[in-house]
Amino acid sequence: MDVLFGDFADAQANRDGYQLSRTLSPDLPHDRLRALWKSCNAHDVKNVLKRNIQNSASGLNRLSHDETQGWVEVYYHYWKAVGELLALQEPSAKSPQASWTKVYEVWRDMLSGLIRGYNNHGFEAWTIPCLYVAGKHLRVFAIRADKERNNNNNSSFNAPGQNFQDDFDPESEQAQQLEDCARQLNRIFNLCLSDRAPLEESRKWGIYYVINLLFKTYFKLNSASLSKNILKALSAGRGDMPPLSAFPKSQQVTFKYYEGVLNFLEENYLEAEKHLTEAWGLCHRNAMRNKEMILTYLVPCHLITTHTLPTQKLLEPYPRLQKLFLPLSRCIKKGELHAFDLALQEGEDEFVKRRIYLTLERGRDVALRNLLRKVFIAGGFVEPAKEGEAPARRTRVPIAEFAAAISLGSQETIDDDEVECFLANMIYKGLMKGYIAREHGKVVLSKNGAFPGTGV
Amino acid sequence: MASSTTTAKKDDKAPAQQAAPAEQQQPTQKAALEEDDEFEDFPVDDWPAEETEAAATKDSTTHLWEESWDDDDTTDDFSNQLREELKKVEASKKR
Repeated sequence: MDVLFGDFADAQANRDGYQLSRTLSPDLPHDRLRALWKSCNAHDVKNVLKRNIQNSASGLNRLSHDETQGWVEVYYHYWKAVGELLALQEPSAKSPQASWTKVYEVWRDMLSGLIRGYNNHGFEAWTIPCLYVAGKHLRVFAIRADKERNNNNNSSFNAPGQNFQDDFDPESEQAQQLEDCARQLNRIFNLCLSDRAPLEESRKWGIYYVINLLFKTYFKLNSASLSKNILKALSAGRGDMPPLSAFPKSQQVTFKYYEGVLNFLEENYLEAEKHLTEAWGLCHRNAMRNKEMILTYLVPCHLITTHTLPTQKLLEPYPRLQKLFLPLSRCIKKGELHAFDLALQEGEDEFVKRRIYLTLERGRDVALRNLLRKVFIAGGFVEPAKEGEAPARRTRVPIAEFAAAISLGSQETIDDDEVECFLANMIYKGLMKGYIAREHGKVVLSKNGAFPGTGV
Repeated sequence: MASSTTTAKKDDKAPAQQAAPAEQQQPTQKAALEEDDEFEDFPVDDWPAEETEAAATKDSTTHLWEESWDDDDTTDDFSNQLREELKKVEASKKR
């Protein structure tokens, strides 16, 4: 307790929010948790806390009566949470009911105490990192509580459980705590968003941290679309919000990543690419795992927006991404349609899990384009009409040649109609320029830029 | 609590004890499945521009992406294959 309030006093004197937030961390070595818990008992804890908080600051920094009262509440619940954590770590006969659900509930009380502190007890904005610590761990505890409950249900309730499940939605039941957590995080979001104080002392500086927590939570709940509401509320209030670039880079990168993935899931690939590229550029160079996450979506984006592929060099540090993307890239480059289909099938589970399957599937068009392009190039040149003119590529290509190329890989003969359908699609999508002359059984390709953007 | 009697029967552990090992058993599996999908917290809050990825790859950004087609492989090879295939297609049509 002495250590804790020594830090509390320092943090108050320096107005250092991060230092203050560390006094509310549940991530402590076992013996420190224990010492904290043993330093008082349920009867005197509030008095002890009050005395400590009152003594921690002097002179100008002295906390008002109101504020003191607010912090007593917060640390009271913190102390209780420490007790619950200890009970989990060292089970005893006295605490047979210890569970993550309990930890979650007490921690939520602490968060409520903090929110009340800002609303009613005059907590200042520099202390908002306390909200970060509270929110971050609330989410962790919620996930653990859900997991614990599901494990218990699975192992011991299997048979009887199924009897009374008529009116219950297993999905939401499974993530009960995490859903509650999302509601709590929303309270923090509104607390930050609605602050009318001038910017330099505004809780608005907490907004991106809590938004990122909400994004993570919504993604985990499989309700990524709820994030849109957050973005809407944010852009409505953007006028008097500090610019994103004024926030720490960890928050910028995380926000940009999620903004990018959200656009990606809605197939706004241009927007997605923009945000993901920003996230990539700002990301810490040593944060390999996060860079890998960004690339997981940036690579499919590039394939759609600019038809470009990652180089060997880009993927070199990421064996997982190599496995994910290299086989497909190779097939696209070589225009091997059939091999592309096989590679897509091969990685299907992984692609679906990462929600990139549908996007990658669209890479088939690029593979087909490359195959048709090869046919075009293999067709060679025709004699120039006039002497002295540069020879031109043959632009009237029999449909049969395209058909042959398409069945080259799969060794299956393919209908002429189907081939024409493919070709019409390519033309419609702007990947190939020309028209189909059905009566001649040929495709007449554009003389300048038959395959736009590819040099021929 | 109904669950405690059943679990006790199963492996003789109090539920509280069970919770802690569950935390330790899971991570291997969890690391493969769930945390995989999550954007991680950065160990530091902020960093200077020199430590960003953009600064690290400043000189070589152009080498990160390449065109999707490949002109390097021998076009001749392909045209031979294509001719062969054409013959096959023709032949199968006549049949």
